[in-house]
Amino acid sequence: MLLRRLPTFAAFAALTALTFAGPSWATDKDVLVIDKAEDPPTADPGVEVSNNGYTLIFPAYERLVKYDGAKTEVIPELAESWTTAPDNLSWTFKLASGHMFDDGSPVDAAAVKYSFDRVKKLAAGPGDMFPTVKDVVIVDPRTVKFELSAPFAPFLSALATSAGSIINPKAQEHAVNGDDAKAWLAEHTAGSGAFKISAWERNQQITLDPNPHYAGKKPAFKQVIFKIVREMSSRRLQLENGDADLIDQVPVDQAEAMKSSAGVVIESNPSLYVIYLYLNNKKAPFDNPKVRQAISYAADYKGLVDGVMQGQAEQMRGAVPDGMWGHDPQGMQYSYDLEKAKQLLADAGVSNLHISFTYSQADSAWEPVGLALQASLAEIGVTMDMKNVADTTKRELVAKGDYDIATGAWTPDFADPFMFMNIWFDPTKMGAPGNRAFYENPKVTDLITQALATVDQKKREQLYIDAQKITNEDAPYVLLFQKNDIFAMRSSVKGYVYNPMLIQVYNIADMSKSE
Amino acid sequence: MSLISTILRRLVLLVFVVAGVAIITFTISHLIPGDPAQLIAGDKASAQTLAHVRQELGLDKPVTQQFVIYVKQLLSGDLGQSLRTRRPVAGDIALFLPATLELGIAALVMAIMIGVPLGVLSAIYKDGPVDQAARVVSVAGISMPVFWFGLALILLFYVKIPILPGSGRITLGIAAPPRITGFFLVDSLVAGDLKAFWSSLYHLVLPAFVLAFANLGIITRQIRASMLDVLQEDYVRTARANGLSRSAVILRHALPNALIPSVTLLGLAFGDLLYGAVLTETIFAWPGMGSYVVSSIQTLDFPAVMGFTIVASLGYVLINLAVDLTYMVLDPQIRELG
Repeated sequence: MLLRRLPTFAAFAALTALTFAGPSWATDKDVLVIDKAEDPPTADPGVEVSNNGYTLIFPAYERLVKYDGAKTEVIPELAESWTTAPDNLSWTFKLASGHMFDDGSPVDAAAVKYSFDRVKKLAAGPGDMFPTVKDVVIVDPRTVKFELSAPFAPFLSALATSAGSIINPKAQEHAVNGDDAKAWLAEHTAGSGAFKISAWERNQQITLDPNPHYAGKKPAFKQVIFKIVREMSSRRLQLENGDADLIDQVPVDQAEAMKSSAGVVIESNPSLYVIYLYLNNKKAPFDNPKVRQAISYAADYKGLVDGVMQGQAEQMRGAVPDGMWGHDPQGMQYSYDLEKAKQLLADAGVSNLHISFTYSQADSAWEPVGLALQASLAEIGVTMDMKNVADTTKRELVAKGDYDIATGAWTPDFADPFMFMNIWFDPTKMGAPGNRAFYENPKVTDLITQALATVDQKKREQLYIDAQKITNEDAPYVLLFQKNDIFAMRSSVKGYVYNPMLIQVYNIADMSKSE
Repeated sequence: MSLISTILRRLVLLVFVVAGVAIITFTISHLIPGDPAQLIAGDKASAQTLAHVRQELGLDKPVTQQFVIYVKQLLSGDLGQSLRTRRPVAGDIALFLPATLELGIAALVMAIMIGVPLGVLSAIYKDGPVDQAARVVSVAGISMPVFWFGLALILLFYVKIPILPGSGRITLGIAAPPRITGFFLVDSLVAGDLKAFWSSLYHLVLPAFVLAFANLGIITRQIRASMLDVLQEDYVRTARANGLSRSAVILRHALPNALIPSVTLLGLAFGDLLYGAVLTETIFAWPGMGSYVVSSIQTLDFPAVMGFTIVASLGYVLINLAVDLTYMVLDPQIRELG
């Protein structure tokens, strides 16, 4: 009986298959489908600190200033002009007219004040972008003044970050139990950007619709959909099949393999994302600069860039990466030189060294980096144990200084050498806050402190370059390489502009599709 | 022992199981070095920010006190708030569990629908071609990694012969049915939305099959074995001697008896299915508990991990109870022996 019905069933199944295998949604010209590896934690500019969250925050909110296309300098966005007091303790912004939130209400000084007061009150990660903002004063509806307790040179650059997003004060109506609308803004947006979140199905997809009151040019897309697809192979198949227009988080080997796929374009751009090693400066023998230099000479930089990164990286030259001002193109680079390393260890009077390499799987480069270093060190008589731990455990061990050598990765939050120099080398930031090598050199401390209080960029640049000369010599970190940012998209997607400050942020308001 | 007393005894046991699970998971998750505050506030957070976040989450309190707070919450039915998504854990579980259950049930139904006939045929035609084929399927099902098999099927039916979707629960552009049970198949039927129903059913095929395939072998082997036993029994021989047709003997007399030992297995298989769902969900971008738990573990989201473990242990105990009760109903002897 059952067997006799089988052909009917098969025919029915095939028929249904044909009905649903029709043209895929992604090929619609006015819909953009982006596959993401992880559901963004929140879309709240007041708490979010991940690039994954910035994917949603940047298109939904405008800021006083923004990054200029592909450049890391800022230009006006909501603010049409600004002035700084001679003591650098107050900044006054004049707001442009015509900017409106997605409910039609105008962006005014009160909204600016609300947004910054909120970030400060929540005191989560984004609050650290504006460490010295004391007060925000409404001068008139279109003028707002920031009062600082101490000069903060990167202030303007910090305003262009996710934390500087201007939120509609009406969001406050959604506050529950005094949470400043944290629960609501986690999954909704209230900005004046080109798009707004219209639906968020957790772990599945997020839909953005255009903001009808957006002041800029009308976007080409009537909808942008972010699909959550954890598995890289699945993302790749979706892109190749045309069910996705763009996929992020593409590892180097996959990028290489996808180069031959028809209709797929690999976007690979030099980023400001650096991979480096922490050397525990407060622990013997790494308290001796000679030992740190020896380790720096034992890393095979070229081999790592060509082999592990398949050429999708560039060796660092000082702490400030290439592409950001404050980078020293003449900066000293360590090279792979085991003889020198051996000599330095002998000079330091160190022998029979037995150390550990603490790493996690959070970055796929770390394990091969460790294995290569282990092999090199073995040749100069240093035994290195590989210690693979969960990423959260690694962070904890590093923050506590409970390691010999550990892996690190860093991206700047705003385009200022502050993000590297003042965070990595400031002795008051030892441990979790950033100076995880526990490094201290009074000369460097002096230079970076001066640089922070100076507004003249030329002078600051010189101070930072001078400081890097010393830190390169002191070698508290092994500066490995800066990675390329890689993602893949359909060749039909047009108008994408890469900005190294905006990793996982797509300028969807200016993008379009040609098919 | 009566049904009622069995149920009561098991429910008391349930309290101990959940309490035990809560204590163990809480201890483990707090012994792992790692600071959730750091994950939430970001790599560059200042010391003040970290202290503030820790205080806000109650992580600055001694562990014992944190446990007391957790248990108090738990007793009032509150699983706490996820550190990562800032949403109530109970709400998150209510959101993601139905997707996993729908997938698990579909897989179980598929495994039974294929496994039981296959097992019966194997037993009847012992050592024949059907039996040999079933053996190959069983071994393949047990030994094939879910991850590999899932990707292979996607490659075949989504890329090479594009007739099935490769990910998600519903076609992009088709709205999900209004949420009643969280089961797309049920909700779309209730809403009378046939388009959503077909699309959901369509999206279920591959992931459910991948999941079912792993358990198919076990079910087939079990049915085959018990069927072979039953076919030796006197009453089967008597029935046949009385002139009943072969199919009537098998379907009416042998099969029901052969199914009894399989009930336990099905209960266990369902537990396995939910466990296997973690991988399947990852490959098929199925928005269920699997991906939620993986993300939670990666970010040390203690409340979410604990909430999931507690709900899962509850589920396991309840499934076992259901299995035992079915057993008692099917076989009165067991009821008497207790």
